[in-house]
Amino acid sequence: MIIKEVNILVIDDEAVIRDGCTKILKKEGWNVDTVENGRDGIELIKNKFFDILLLDLMMPGINGMEVLQEIKSQSPSIYTIVITGYATIETAVEAMKIGAFDYIAKPFTPDQLRLVVKKALSNKALIREAEYLRAEQEKGLHAIDQEKSKIRTIMNCMPNGVLVIDKDKRIALYNPIASKLLNISGDDPIGKDVDECINCKDLSIMISDTLRGKSSHNAGIVSEIAGNDAIPLMAHVAPVVMADSEIAGAVAILQDISHQKAVEKMKSNFIAKVTHELKSPVATITQQLNTLLEGAAGELSEEQLKMIEKAKLWGVGLIALISDLLSISKIEAGMSIQKKVLLDIREVVYDAIEILKPQAEDKKITINISLDNLPKINADREGMKEVFVNLISNAIKYNDSGGKIDIYGERDKDYLRISVSDNGFGISREDLKFIFERFFRAKNKKTRQIIGTGLGLPIIKEIIESHLGAITVQSEEGNGSTFTVSLPISEKPLIREGEPVLTNY
Amino acid sequence: MAAKSKVLIVDDDSDYGEAIKLLLEKKGGYEVALAYDGNEGIEKVKSERPDIIVLDVMMPVKDGYTMCAELKADEKYRDIPVILLTAVASHIAETPYTPRMGMETEAEDYIDKPVEPKVILERIDKLLKK
Repeated sequence: MIIKEVNILVIDDEAVIRDGCTKILKKEGWNVDTVENGRDGIELIKNKFFDILLLDLMMPGINGMEVLQEIKSQSPSIYTIVITGYATIETAVEAMKIGAFDYIAKPFTPDQLRLVVKKALSNKALIREAEYLRAEQEKGLHAIDQEKSKIRTIMNCMPNGVLVIDKDKRIALYNPIASKLLNISGDDPIGKDVDECINCKDLSIMISDTLRGKSSHNAGIVSEIAGNDAIPLMAHVAPVVMADSEIAGAVAILQDISHQKAVEKMKSNFIAKVTHELKSPVATITQQLNTLLEGAAGELSEEQLKMIEKAKLWGVGLIALISDLLSISKIEAGMSIQKKVLLDIREVVYDAIEILKPQAEDKKITINISLDNLPKINADREGMKEVFVNLISNAIKYNDSGGKIDIYGERDKDYLRISVSDNGFGISREDLKFIFERFFRAKNKKTRQIIGTGLGLPIIKEIIESHLGAITVQSEEGNGSTFTVSLPISEKPLIREGEPVLTNY
Repeated sequence: MAAKSKVLIVDDDSDYGEAIKLLLEKKGGYEVALAYDGNEGIEKVKSERPDIIVLDVMMPVKDGYTMCAELKADEKYRDIPVILLTAVASHIAETPYTPRMGMETEAEDYIDKPVEPKVILERIDKLLKK
């Protein structure tokens, strides 16, 4: 133990002792000061730092005991060794009770003096080292404690539920919101199996899939699940990936979406209302015109017929516009309405053709279908139906009587490609650039009479893109058009980073 | 000559009902009765004994789904074919009136409003022949 400098003070009324001590102690390399009475000693200690005090107990004026008491209260770190003229244990014991470290009896040998001072010094060094260690340890503990409490505070203050799972599917950490949303049960769920403490099958499957590395690009799996009390939750489970690409666990973030759900429901009701208020009257007008046109209310003159036919076209056009606007508002409200299921696209195309049969028959258009042995895809049935109703309807509308439509499907690596080709009017080079833009309509002599809203293709493009697919078109004016839809073939739910694409388990 | 088939049209929009009625009478040769909500519809089913029902979905008091479900639950009326008519576009998902053909209703057919004369005449004819 290295103590750089040692300062010793000797308070003794006897000059012999002062001189003797100075001589002996200085030889050890220590600094020695001496005073001859207690009052001077106390004053000196106020101004200078001393490690050791050698104090004579029997002094005229202020005696040693009083000095000791005063010094203990003033500079408690000084080690005091009392020098007693009467070698009585009683006085030494009394001094040590007040706080003296040790004692030495007059007369003493130089060795005895050195020994007692060294003992005090080493003890002091030891205490100092212990104090240093304790301080260090406390500092460390304090830091650890702060880091822990920081994480705890952040976790507890998060508005979302957080659940951390280790690679063996045991709970490593969770916050109060997670506990509330999932009703985490058990006395101490930490370290226990997820399925033991949480009754939520959907989340359990998501966690298992994530731990098995099933989520693509480590972006995690996003899905809507039902939590405690059937609270709708948006759950995002992401793997914890180590430097060696090993999956060490999973983190689940849970968001209560009951508010969004309520808004969605209000919106749906509003849409239903708008539909009723806006679309129903137009439907009635169109129906009345239909009945008139059929001659059910009496034969019409050719001019009356012509005018009513045109009025009916406006009605039909308005209905289509209302439907498309509602459809687009629905799409813009988010993809959460989509329900992706494993889908046989052939069924969807046949459904679409069934709807359009009257129009096709009216124009005597033949439809050839070649959609055999195609893999299923993960897609929203209604969305896909809308895509093909739209494409086939366009192929009928923008075609001459007696025209032809070919629907052909094939697998191209990880994609399913379905093309809808017609031998109709085709699209000019200039118009081709704009056909996926909202409210754009190709206008020429042949298409002027065709009712449309300019929203069909933009809508289906959005639907296809929300399935991570693409739509392309090839066309030449006067030589028909081919629209090709590519959709990813996937047994797994589709996942796109940062986007709440719903998956169905 | 065989007796005319009887169609019951249930629609809260009387103008719509009248337009279909006229069409079915003049062009389909049917006898047509009208009702303006689900409750009246049920009454008319009992009193008129229609061969087929054309039923609007969105109606006050009792909507078309409810009326259809009640008929299909009653074995006396279960076999009367029902065609649902609605102005809610089929691709607008998840409204209270979203078409639920083949899933939650047992209606035999479902048609969007407005309907082409040819289509409704064909569908009625097809269902009556079954």
